[in-house]
Amino acid sequence: MRINPDSWRRVRVDRASAMKWPLPIALALLIGAGGALAHEVSSARADFIPPEPGTYRLERIQALPDGAVIDTHNRRARLAKYTQGRVTLLSLMYTSCSDPSGCPMALYTLQKVRRDLEREKSTGNRVRIVSLSFDPAHDTPDVMRAYSARQTQKRSQVPWDFLTARSPQDLRPVLDGLGQDVRVPADPAAAANPANLTHMLKVFLIDRDGWVREIYTSSFLVPQVMVNDVQTLLLEDGGKLR
Amino acid sequence: MSSHEITACLSQRVARFVVSVGLFSLFAGAGIALADETCNSPYLSSLIKGQEDYAYVWTLGVRGVGDGWDKLVTIDVNPASSRYGKVLHSVSVGARGEAHHMGFSDDRRFLWAGGLDDSKIYVFDIGTDPGKPRLVKTIGDVTERTGFVGPHTFYALPGRVLVGNLSNSKDHGGMTGLALYNNRGDLIQSYPMPSSNGGDGYGYDIAINPQKNVLLTSSFTGWNNYMRNLGELVGDAEAMKHFGNTVVLWDLKTMSPKKIFSVPGSPLEIRWSLNPGDNWAVVATALTSKIWLIQQDSSGEWQAKDVAVIGDPSKIPLPVDISITADGKGLWVNTFMDGKTRYFDLSNPEHPIQTYEKATGKQVNMVSQSWDGKRVYIASSLLANWDKTGENDEQFLRGFDWDGKALTQTFEVDFYKEKLGRAHHIKLGSKALKAAYADQPGQLASRPR
Repeated sequence: MRINPDSWRRVRVDRASAMKWPLPIALALLIGAGGALAHEVSSARADFIPPEPGTYRLERIQALPDGAVIDTHNRRARLAKYTQGRVTLLSLMYTSCSDPSGCPMALYTLQKVRRDLEREKSTGNRVRIVSLSFDPAHDTPDVMRAYSARQTQKRSQVPWDFLTARSPQDLRPVLDGLGQDVRVPADPAAAANPANLTHMLKVFLIDRDGWVREIYTSSFLVPQVMVNDVQTLLLEDGGKLR
Repeated sequence: MSSHEITACLSQRVARFVVSVGLFSLFAGAGIALADETCNSPYLSSLIKGQEDYAYVWTLGVRGVGDGWDKLVTIDVNPASSRYGKVLHSVSVGARGEAHHMGFSDDRRFLWAGGLDDSKIYVFDIGTDPGKPRLVKTIGDVTERTGFVGPHTFYALPGRVLVGNLSNSKDHGGMTGLALYNNRGDLIQSYPMPSSNGGDGYGYDIAINPQKNVLLTSSFTGWNNYMRNLGELVGDAEAMKHFGNTVVLWDLKTMSPKKIFSVPGSPLEIRWSLNPGDNWAVVATALTSKIWLIQQDSSGEWQAKDVAVIGDPSKIPLPVDISITADGKGLWVNTFMDGKTRYFDLSNPEHPIQTYEKATGKQVNMVSQSWDGKRVYIASSLLANWDKTGENDEQFLRGFDWDGKALTQTFEVDFYKEKLGRAHHIKLGSKALKAAYADQPGQLASRPR
């Protein structure tokens, strides 16, 4: 594999700086200020150059399990409706997540990835992002609509759908099938705090046929890697990169 | 005992990791771990940073001892418990296949364990009831699907488990490879260990540094050797040539070997420093009794060099397991032959200094520590045919407190007295790691709003 340093683009990420903000403010900034925040904060570091798209293979890890979901207009559908036909980045999340390195990190990263993909003409109408809540008790369609307002109002060649479910039972096949751990504190008082769900941040890369091809956790949530992975799948489909 | 002659180091160029790329820090934040209890995959979802409740011990069955089968034994290790130091649970797998190592899935709901002789992988559910593991799946076609023998290391990746093997079905020598499974137990892909350009094709441990996009593997020996009586093996000069002498550095993302280091004398356990910003790992060599440092130099190139000796190498103390402290400043080393547990100061990883040692058994193999380093657990068995015999064949799990100056034993479970078998690999568990969604799907719905 040949690495071309010229092709590398500096990716600036703000996790350390974002953590200095009180959470509500940080969330508001992340949701509402999007791109501006990216320019105001500096990066954490990683010490490798992501391999070029198409120079490696993403294995078929597993088929994406299906489940019943509802969108922000309370319309019921199968999850597969939102994950097939396009290369999809699926983020499992909940809106009251208080861990700056959890859901807010995923949201910010996906914003960054979306902006990068929007700049790639080759990705036009072939990629989507989906955020699916695993806390349907709190994340009603109204809550998800408010949470997603900034994203869904924006016209983009990379659509972003925000989904929830009618019940945890509807979600269970998806969560169990994807190995998305969610833990509730045993102490009722702690459990009453919606910010106290414990989970591991996971974002799934899904190909057009519904196969999970990569799973990003906090240890590997690198925007440039994610963009390159998306483009690798597009190349598999006969696409050409700009 | 002679060691394999050093071969020339590979000159294959490796990509230079010199440019910073934006990456979210790996080290802070609830629910995110660079490593778990200091020596597990960085992809695990949950840490036990407080008091652990359980020690899971993967135990070799011994004919005539209890049911004689390999089994997963759960021991209460919480000093506040009325059953502290007692066996809580045992689940047999109905076979005796040289139980050896274990590893958690990334969600820590399942514990994968392997048999070096029968080449089976046993998957235990520890998420539903952490105090009562259940055998939920047996993968019996490892060799049929991959050609590999002896699944040894189980290393969590997101949604996957990467399995390091020791041997192969063709000649039962040391040529082997890695096998990648999804968390359901379906084989995804296999990767042969490199056997050209300086590679010997042997395998053993796996250790990943996601921040560096680096995977390291080490090398032991094949079925022909690890299933043989140790005394006979040592006396067979030809057989003693068939031990691994390499550490391989892989590009994790592409799963391609990038550089092969000559590390003579069978490098075994690999441990990355968990200290944020550190760029090094250590590995101990069994036959040459040394600590090697794998580190990036000032230009970003990865290098390997030996930095310390363990005991008196001429006496073959046989360093087996190592355990690094959470701050990367200390290293426990167990040497099997003399039964000693040694502590090395790693403040300067280029010059580890032994500061403490204690005979913790007549034979000792695995060593695990709590995240805070205050508790150390030691198990006795190495391999069924390598363990000592007669009165020196102690089989135990022993718990110790470590105050920074001395190890003080706090409990012992005698695995022969309890009719369990040979105590091998140790993993820690907690009541708090019960998975909410696994058996209580309505719990979130009924959560107070």
